[in-house]
Amino acid sequence: MSYRKLFYAFNFALLAVFVTALVKDNDAQWKTYQRQYYDLMADHLTKQAAAETDPKKAADLRKSAAEYRRHPLAIKQIITDGLGRFDRCTTCHVGMDEYENPGLTTPFTQQPFAAHPDIAGLVKTHPFTKFGCTVCHQGQGLATTLADAHGWVENWDHPMLKGTAIQGSCVKCHGDFAALKGAQAAAEGEKLIHQHGCLGCHAIDGVGGTMSVDLGDIEDKPLERIAGYNFLRVRIDGKQLPLDHWNIQNWILGHLVDDPEQVTPNDPFAKMNTEPIAPSPMPDFSHELTREQAEDIVAYLSGMTKLEEVPYRDHVQGPAAREPRFSDPKAHGHYVFVKYGCAGCHGVDAKAGRRRFNALGPGQKPFDPKMTEAERFAEMEKGREPTLPDLMSGYSHEELVEKIEQGVPASAAKKWDPDGPMPVIYMPAWKGKISKPELDDLATWLLSIGKKQDLGF
Amino acid sequence: MPIPDIETLKKEVIDSPVWRAVFRGGVWADTPRDRQAHISGNVWLHLHPAKVRPRALKWTYTWGLGGLAFALFLLLALSGVSLMFYYRPVPGLAFRDIKDLEYAVTLGKLLRNMHRWAAQAMVVAVIAHMVRVFLTGAYKRPREFNWGIGVLLLTLTLFLSFTGYLLPWDQLAIWAVTVGTNMAGATPFLGNAGPFGGLMGMHINNDVRFTMLGGTVVGGSALLRFYVLHCIAVPLLVGILLILHFWRVRKDSFSAAPYSANEPKVDVWPNLVKREYLAAVGLVIFIMVWALLQNAPLEIMANPNVTMNPAKAPWYFVGLQEMLVYFDPWIAGVLLPGMIAAGLIMVPYLDTNPKGVGYYAWGERPFANTMFLLGVTMWFTLITIGEFFRGPSYAWYWPWESWYGFKPAPPPTWSVFGPHGAAVLPIALGVAVLGALFTGGIFLPKLIQRELPGKKLLLGFLALVALVGLGGMAAHKLTGLQVGFLLFFCGMVFQFGFIMPQRHIRRLDWARYLVTMTLVVCMMGVWLKMCARLCFNIKYVLTVPAVSMNI
Amino acid sequence: MSEATEKSTAAHAAAPAPKTAAPGQMTRGDFLWAGWSMLAAFFAASAAAGARYLFPNVTYEPSQIFNAGPVSGYDLGVSTKWLNEHRVWIVRTETGLYALWARCTHLGCTPNWFPDQNRFKCPCHGSNYTLAGDVIAGPAPIPLWRAKITVASTGDLIVDKGVLADQPPKRDQPPFFLPLASA
Repeated sequence: MSYRKLFYAFNFALLAVFVTALVKDNDAQWKTYQRQYYDLMADHLTKQAAAETDPKKAADLRKSAAEYRRHPLAIKQIITDGLGRFDRCTTCHVGMDEYENPGLTTPFTQQPFAAHPDIAGLVKTHPFTKFGCTVCHQGQGLATTLADAHGWVENWDHPMLKGTAIQGSCVKCHGDFAALKGAQAAAEGEKLIHQHGCLGCHAIDGVGGTMSVDLGDIEDKPLERIAGYNFLRVRIDGKQLPLDHWNIQNWILGHLVDDPEQVTPNDPFAKMNTEPIAPSPMPDFSHELTREQAEDIVAYLSGMTKLEEVPYRDHVQGPAAREPRFSDPKAHGHYVFVKYGCAGCHGVDAKAGRRRFNALGPGQKPFDPKMTEAERFAEMEKGREPTLPDLMSGYSHEELVEKIEQGVPASAAKKWDPDGPMPVIYMPAWKGKISKPELDDLATWLLSIGKKQDLGF
Repeated sequence: MPIPDIETLKKEVIDSPVWRAVFRGGVWADTPRDRQAHISGNVWLHLHPAKVRPRALKWTYTWGLGGLAFALFLLLALSGVSLMFYYRPVPGLAFRDIKDLEYAVTLGKLLRNMHRWAAQAMVVAVIAHMVRVFLTGAYKRPREFNWGIGVLLLTLTLFLSFTGYLLPWDQLAIWAVTVGTNMAGATPFLGNAGPFGGLMGMHINNDVRFTMLGGTVVGGSALLRFYVLHCIAVPLLVGILLILHFWRVRKDSFSAAPYSANEPKVDVWPNLVKREYLAAVGLVIFIMVWALLQNAPLEIMANPNVTMNPAKAPWYFVGLQEMLVYFDPWIAGVLLPGMIAAGLIMVPYLDTNPKGVGYYAWGERPFANTMFLLGVTMWFTLITIGEFFRGPSYAWYWPWESWYGFKPAPPPTWSVFGPHGAAVLPIALGVAVLGALFTGGIFLPKLIQRELPGKKLLLGFLALVALVGLGGMAAHKLTGLQVGFLLFFCGMVFQFGFIMPQRHIRRLDWARYLVTMTLVVCMMGVWLKMCARLCFNIKYVLTVPAVSMNI
Repeated sequence: MSEATEKSTAAHAAAPAPKTAAPGQMTRGDFLWAGWSMLAAFFAASAAAGARYLFPNVTYEPSQIFNAGPVSGYDLGVSTKWLNEHRVWIVRTETGLYALWARCTHLGCTPNWFPDQNRFKCPCHGSNYTLAGDVIAGPAPIPLWRAKITVASTGDLIVDKGVLADQPPKRDQPPFFLPLASA
C-alpha cells in the first residue's frame, strides 16, 4: 500500500475510533432511563388530558406533557446534609426525586420509575433531599450505571441492602428502633440474639462475652478478612452463593441457616497443620431458628457499624437502659440466664447443652484408634456442653454459686479423642461479671429446673 | 463547485505571506534542498538530522520504539493535564474525583483509561527501546553517555508510574505505595529498618521514608507530595533529560550501520517523517481502542487498616515483589535495583568489544547479549510469576486454579549462619564462607587461563547435583520438584556464572573484569538464594540482627 | 510501497500522480485530500470534545431548588430564614408571597435588609431596592430577581432559583408570585 493510502487509512481510523468513543461516552445508561421516565410522564398526562372534560385544564395538561417530552436530561445529585454522601440515584429513579415528583405521587409501579413508598411517614421525617438514598439503602451513590450504582460490582463493598436487611439502617441512628414502625424485623432480631445466647460468646459494643468477635461493628468487617474457601462453603437454601452475593449479610446468614461447622470445618485431623484445629465452635442454629428469624437477626446486625459517620444531631437516643424488677427470684434467675447469654452454650432455657467438639458427651462410643476418620468425626460431634438440669442434683445453692463464679478453665476439658483438637468453648469465671444478687437468683432458678432423680451421669 | 486540485491549493497556501512568515521557505519544489530546508526550517522537525542511513528507516531495526515512547510521553502529558482539571489531591476527595471522572464527566472515563494504559505502554516501550539499543550495540562509543541518560529516563519512567499509582487513592494505590516506600525505609544507613539504620540514629520519623511521605504513614501529605512529583517535578526532569537525549542522538547521529561502504544517505523528509507520523497515529488509535475496551482499575477507597488480598504491586514492580519473597527489602528493594541501574549505566564502559554497532549482531557479541538477555528474561519471568502464579496470601496458585481453594501453610524456614538461637552456624564462619564464595566466584574464571570444555564440565556438574538430589529424595528430604529446582538453578549458575565468563572475559583487563564479574556473581547469588529457599527452606544464609542485616 | 525509490536520493522526486483516473477511482491526490480532511475532522472533533470536557455535568454547589417549609409559616414582611443557607428572602405581602434572590443585580454582592428603612441595600456599590425588588438608588440596572415558587401537595413551598423573573407583569404572576388571601 502506498504511504498516501496509509495516510488516509490511518487518519480515517483515528477519526472513526474517536467518534466511536464520543458515541459510547454519550450513550450513557442513565439517559435511557431518564428519557423513559419523562416519556412515561408525558404519556400519562396525555391520557389524562384525553379524559379531561374541562378544555382549559386539558390544554394545560397537554402543555406540560409537551414539556416532559422536551425535558433536558441531566445527572441529578443529592448532596446530603452533613452525612458525607453524594447520591445520584434520582438520576434514574426520577420518581423518587422530590423536586421532580413533589409528594411522590407518580402512578408508575415499575422500577426505576416508581415513587418511593412512604413507610411510616418516612418522606416527611427523612426528606430525601437532605438524607439522600445510600445512607439507608447502601450501594454506590456516585455511580450512574445500573450494576455499579447498586453495588453489584467487585470494587464496592456495600451493595444495596436487600429485604429486611435495610432495617439495620434504622438501627444505625435510632436508639429507640425497637419502638419504630417499619423496624420490626430488626427489633425481633435483637430479641432473638438475647434469647439464643449469642451474647455468651459475642459482645455488642463491649457488652457480652469475649470468646468470639464483637458484633458491634460486624457490618464493617472487610470481606478481605474472610477466606475465599470459607465463603465458598456458605450455603443458603442449600445453594452455594454466586460471587456477586458475597457480602457480610450473607456471611452472617450462612452461619445461622446452616451449621457453622460446614462453613469453617478447619482441620480437626491435622491434615494441613502441625496441630489439629477444631471446627467453628459456633452452635448450629439451623434447626432452632426459622429462615425468617435468621433474617431478622441479619437485619439487626446490618446496623452494626462504626465507620459510618452519622452526625450527632441525627442520632436518636434510645430509652435509658433500666433493669426490670422481679418479685419472683426464679423469674429473675431466668432473666439473668438470658442476659448473660448462658443459652449460647447451655441451650435456650437450659434445656440441652450445645455441641462442644471433641468433648465428652452423651451417647458417645468409647474412643478407639482403629475407627475411621468419619466415624471419629461423628463421635467428636457428639461432644456436649453440660445440660444443666441433669447436673443440679449434685449441687447445693452455695456450691452452684461458687461453680459459676469460678468457671471451668479450658485446660480442664476432657477430650474424647486424646489426639484430637482441644474443645474450644469453656465456662468462663463469672465472678465480678454477674453481681451477687443476680447469681443467687440464677442459682435458685437453675436448681428449680434441675431433675430430681440422679441419672448417674 | 468542483473540488479544487490539492496541488494548486497547497501551492496557494504555501506561497501566502502568512505561511512564509511562519514557516519560511516558499513554494514547494521537492528538490533535495527543499527537503533539507523543510527539516532545518522547522523547530520541531529540526530534532531530526536532514539525512539518515537507510537502515535507520527499517521498522525491523528500530521498531520505532524511542519515538513511540516519546509519543506516549506527550500523550500522557496531554491526558494528564486534562485530568488535573477534575482532580484534587486530598484523601477522600481524590477518590471521589476519580469516581466522578468515571461516572459524571464527559469523556472522563476515556481520558483516565487512556492515561492509565498509555502509562503502561510507555513502560513497555521504554524497556523495549533499551533492549533494542543494547542488542544493536548502539550504546558503544560515542554514545556511552546517552545510554546512561536513557537508563535514567527508564528509572524516571518507572518512578512516574509509581507516583501516579497513589493518586486515585484506592486500595491499590495506598498499598502499592506503602510497600514501595517501606522499601525505601529499608535503605542501608538511611532507612529506619535498613542495615545500620539504627546505628545512624534512624527512626520512623527522621529517615528517608519520612521525607518521601511527609509523615510516618501514607496519608494526605504523601498524596500531595506524590501529586507534585507526578505532575510537575518528575515530568520536568524527564523533559530536561529528553532534550539532552535527543540532542545527543542528533549530535552522535543514528546508530544504524551502513549496509555497504559509500552508501548514500536518504532524506528524512519525507521518508522518516511519514513513518513517524503513521507510527504516532497508529499509537493513538491503539491506546484509544484499548481504553474503549478495558477500564482502568479502581478498587474501593484507600483503607489503611485493611489490605486487600492478594496485594500486588503494579506489574512492572511485581518482579521486585517476587524477589521480596526471597530477600530482605534492603537487598530486593534497594541494593539489587541500584545495582541493576548502576550496572546498566556502566555497560558501555565495560564492553570493549568493538563489533556489532548499528545492527543486530548475535554471533559477534555472545557474552554481552547473553548476560543482558538473561537479566531481562529473569526480570520478566519474575513478573510473570508474580502476576499470574500468585494468589491470596501471596501463595502459589496456578493460573487455572481457583483463588478460593485452600492452601496449606508453607513449611517453616531456618537460617544457616547467625547468632546462637537465630541460626545453626556462627556469624564469623558465615562471613568467611560467603566471602570465600563471592571472591572465589569472581576470581576463579580469570585464574584458569586455559579454555575449558564447557559442555562436558556442565554435564559432569549436573550429574553431581543430580546425585545429591537423588540422595535427598531417597532420604525423603527433597521432593521431585525441589530436585528439579536444584538442577535448574545450579546448572544456570554453573553455565552462566562460570563457564561463560571463563570462555569469554578471562582476557579482559582486571578493572573491567572485576566490575563485570561482581555484577554477574550478584545475579548468580540471587539464583542461589532462590534455590536455597525453594529446595532447603533456608530463610537467611547469614543473619546479623544486631545491625538488622540479613542476607 | 517501493523502498528502493525512497532510499535513493536521485529518485526523491516522486512520479507525478496520474491526473486521469478511471471514473469512480481515487487518485493519489484524492487520498491525500481525504487524509487531510480526516485529520482536520479529528482535530475539530477533539477541540469540541475538549471544550465539552471542561463543562462539568455535576457540581457540588448547593441545590438550586429547596424546600422552604409550609406556606403558612410566613408572616407579613421579609423573612431572612433562608438567607444563610440558600441566599433567598421570602417576602410576604398583603396580597401574596414571593422569593427574592439575595443577589445584587449590579455585580453579585449580597444586599442587606434594613427593616427600619424598608429597603435592601447593597454594600458593594450602594444599590438600593424596594421591598418589591425595584431599584431606587445606586448603579443596579434591573430589579432583584424573583425565583420560581410552587406549592407541593404537602403544602410546602418549593423555591427554584433556576427559574427567575425580574420585571412586571411576569414577576407578579405565578409561578413567581403566589397570590394569597390577606394575612
